[in-house]
Amino acid sequence: MAAIIELENISKHYSPTIIGVDDVSLTVEDGEFVTLLGPSGCGKSTLLRMIGGFEEPTAGAIRLADKDVTFDPPYKREVNMVFQDYALFPHMTIGENVAYGLKTFKLDKDTVRTRVKDALMLVGLYDKLNQRPQQLSGGQRQRIALARAIVRRPKVLLLDEPLSALDAKLREQMQIELKHLHEKVGITFIMVTHDQTEALVMSDRVVVMDKGKIAQEGRPQDLYDHPANPYVANFIGTTSFLPGKVRALSGEVATIAAGGTQITAHPDVTLSEGATVTVGVRPEKVKLLAEGETADNVFEGTISEVIYYGLGLRISVTLADGSKIDADTLLPDKLSHSTLPQSGAPVRLGVAAHNVFVFEGTVTP
Amino acid sequence: MTIKKTMLGTLGLLSLTASPVLAEGTINVLTWEGYADPSFISKFEETSGCQVNATYVGSNDDFAPKLMAGGGVYDLITPSIDTTKLMIDLDFVEPLDTTKIEGWNDIYPKFLALDGIQKDGAYYGMPYVWGAIAFMYRDDAFETPPTSIADLWREDLKGKISLWDDKSAIYVAARKNGDMNIYSLTDEQIAAAQKSLVEQKPLIRKYWATAGELVDLYKAGEVVISNTWAGYQSSLLADEGIKVTEFIPTEGAEGWMDSWMIVKGSPNQECAYKFLNMQLSEQGQCGVANVNGYSVANAAAAKSCMSPEQFKTLHQDDPDYLDSLLIWQPLGDRFEAYTNAWNAVKAQ
Amino acid sequence: MSFLRRNLPSMLVMGIPLMWIALFMLLPYGIIVTYSFWLKKYPTFIPAFQFGNYVTIFTDPQYVRVFLRTLKISVLVSAASFLLAYPFAYYLVFRCRSVALRTWLYMAVIAPLWVSYLLRAYIWKTILGTEGVLNSFLMSLGIIDEPSSLFLYNQFAMVVTLTYIFIPFMVMPIYTALEKIPTNLTEASADLGMGPWRSFWTVTLPLSLPGVAAGFTLTFCLSFGDFIAPFLVGGPDGNLIANVIATQFGAALNWPLGSALAIVMLVVVLTIVSLSDRMERKGMTGGV
Repeated sequence: MAAIIELENISKHYSPTIIGVDDVSLTVEDGEFVTLLGPSGCGKSTLLRMIGGFEEPTAGAIRLADKDVTFDPPYKREVNMVFQDYALFPHMTIGENVAYGLKTFKLDKDTVRTRVKDALMLVGLYDKLNQRPQQLSGGQRQRIALARAIVRRPKVLLLDEPLSALDAKLREQMQIELKHLHEKVGITFIMVTHDQTEALVMSDRVVVMDKGKIAQEGRPQDLYDHPANPYVANFIGTTSFLPGKVRALSGEVATIAAGGTQITAHPDVTLSEGATVTVGVRPEKVKLLAEGETADNVFEGTISEVIYYGLGLRISVTLADGSKIDADTLLPDKLSHSTLPQSGAPVRLGVAAHNVFVFEGTVTP
Repeated sequence: MTIKKTMLGTLGLLSLTASPVLAEGTINVLTWEGYADPSFISKFEETSGCQVNATYVGSNDDFAPKLMAGGGVYDLITPSIDTTKLMIDLDFVEPLDTTKIEGWNDIYPKFLALDGIQKDGAYYGMPYVWGAIAFMYRDDAFETPPTSIADLWREDLKGKISLWDDKSAIYVAARKNGDMNIYSLTDEQIAAAQKSLVEQKPLIRKYWATAGELVDLYKAGEVVISNTWAGYQSSLLADEGIKVTEFIPTEGAEGWMDSWMIVKGSPNQECAYKFLNMQLSEQGQCGVANVNGYSVANAAAAKSCMSPEQFKTLHQDDPDYLDSLLIWQPLGDRFEAYTNAWNAVKAQ
Repeated sequence: MSFLRRNLPSMLVMGIPLMWIALFMLLPYGIIVTYSFWLKKYPTFIPAFQFGNYVTIFTDPQYVRVFLRTLKISVLVSAASFLLAYPFAYYLVFRCRSVALRTWLYMAVIAPLWVSYLLRAYIWKTILGTEGVLNSFLMSLGIIDEPSSLFLYNQFAMVVTLTYIFIPFMVMPIYTALEKIPTNLTEASADLGMGPWRSFWTVTLPLSLPGVAAGFTLTFCLSFGDFIAPFLVGGPDGNLIANVIATQFGAALNWPLGSALAIVMLVVVLTIVSLSDRMERKGMTGGV
């Protein structure tokens, strides 16, 4: 696989104090589905718009298929964008919208017709050829926007929060459709989203951004299992954080004092004895221990809150040293109310050593 | 009961306070600027106890539409001699009791003989002021003073000529063509006048519509020759320090004369006649002559209140001058032919 | 009784606008239509039912000529307003980065509407006159040796003055139309390979056409009915249809002909309005 997009130390500074993107380098392989993930204002959209040519970086270079396109206007780049509100032309029919991007190619009429047809067939909306965007539903417009971009056979397809305007059900369906479409057309996709599920479901690689910088990039499961910092740990999934201190190190195993007890962990980072650390535990990896049951690490505490969410329960527990930890438990059977854990009851929680994240320093939640 | 009493009391009070004004009356006059100038009207209001409200017209064409819009508003009007007949025929005015007007017999007999102000042996208009539609040029623009209407058709004056936006343009063109019967032109003569005016059109800077507009045109250096209301615009220009000279062209000039008329059904007869008497007296005659620079209809009054120079400048002692003027005449049913021709020129 | 009480509020709500229309539109127009069939007869006119006035309008060349001239002036004013207003509005909406400057410039165009029409027309007299500002300026630059009389008292002066007076009515609808175009549409056009000019022709201009149509209608109709500009800055060849109508109601005392002219003028204006309305409607549903 060859690199199709190379971002080299890209920055976008609106003013010395207002920084959109800060020194970002990223390589996207040909055919990859990469997602830029982060909360609003993290710089992900600005980065995408700079790749599309709608904004110019204040520093750095952008290469598209080994060609420097940093300051090329959008109409000179072989990339296409699917806009957040689709940006379909209201004064044109669906057919005209899709054919619009072919005008500059100087193709003969039949070729244009065939390519428009192919693109519309691909998204299953060829029957809407002569309708206007206003007559279509949100999901249909979304697909037309895709067809309009794909018909140009760009090297890279940019998607700016493509599903954010759709309702939850439709969004889930479109996530799968988009993924299939990506596999079918084989074009590189770069998507921007603030929805971690969307990112995990669809992408080959996720780039988590924070305050204009890349916080971590990697395959979805790597980000989930090995977050590089508390920010990623908490943005992808949820994590309870406990302050801790390293007591002993032996090989890959660290012994850490946290949550009023001693726990063992397999940290991804090199630590030194006596260092202040933050321990992270995902609620879904925490197990409520029954009488006599044991685990690598056992925390003791009191239930402070129980939240029911259909699939299971989230139990907030206050530990001996005052720190808090959440535990999720599935409810495979319908349970009567009396057997559910109650607030104020004492509880024991078990966590496997390989499920404990260890980050250097302290975290202020 | 109490409410009724209070109301009656208030009404009584109202009528008490209002009565002196009502008794003495208010007259509304529709006239030319200067004809009800405070310089002599204020004194009249004091001595007669009659209030005068003046509304001003910009053209003789304003009288008919204003009175047609509904009666009961105006008591007195001052149309020119080409419009007085229309007022009579439209039944807008009522006959005057000349016995109630002192000095009636001192009015120039020539004016009293005019058809336009009488019908069936009764007078409807009281001659007031008169003058010529003279011609005027800017002194610094001419080495040899112009003397003829034909000078308004001179190519070398292109873009510096103005003419009154009025059917009188037909009178001017007709005289230029040698047709001196300007108030009884045949269709052919009107057509010829129309043709001359169309020929003149490229030379015209602007047709002037109001006295002020003509003054502005001279002031801004846009125009050097035009016709004018003798005595009026030239004095306004003199005040601005612009030297202009009026002249009567060899083809003669039209004359105009304005008369006071009482609107039919006016409820303020007493004040109206007091007002007419004042206007024909020295107070009114010299009052208007001083304000507008027009000649007046009562020569006897003029003689006693004007300086000899003024008397002479205004041609009050010069019956030949008056006789030389082609005094406007009502056009009757030929009116339309004239206005239509003039409108066609403007539409060209 | 209860029917009345129940329906009184809705009857009032409906009744006031209906009465308004009847009193201030239908009645006056009805009177004018009636007059237009009357007959001119010295000293005024008499009731009749005949089409002579309309025949006169279409057979006497002077009226056709003035109608055509008025049409020409109005079209020129609309076109000039459009050519000035469109780039201006475009700049304000798409190019002007500073909000303060945009507000300020917009107000600079709109503010003259608060100044009396006459005053604004007079200003042009002092600018365009033989001894006016423009002539002094050109002479000080040495472009001309002696003052030119070409600027004032002609159709050029009327077009300039009317354009100046009515241009806010072109700027406002175009500004609104441009402002309503989402920026991502022009971005999408660029993204799909179109350069700035082609994007403008294929996206921005078509989408702003409803505003342009509204601006054209407003400036055209306002110019078509104007009679002050010919009076103040027009020359001997500056008579417009409204002046002719005013003459018929005044000097000529021919209300029937004046009414017939007014009706013909109304028909012209209504035709333009309905044409542009159709265009705006089409623009709104996206059909250009």
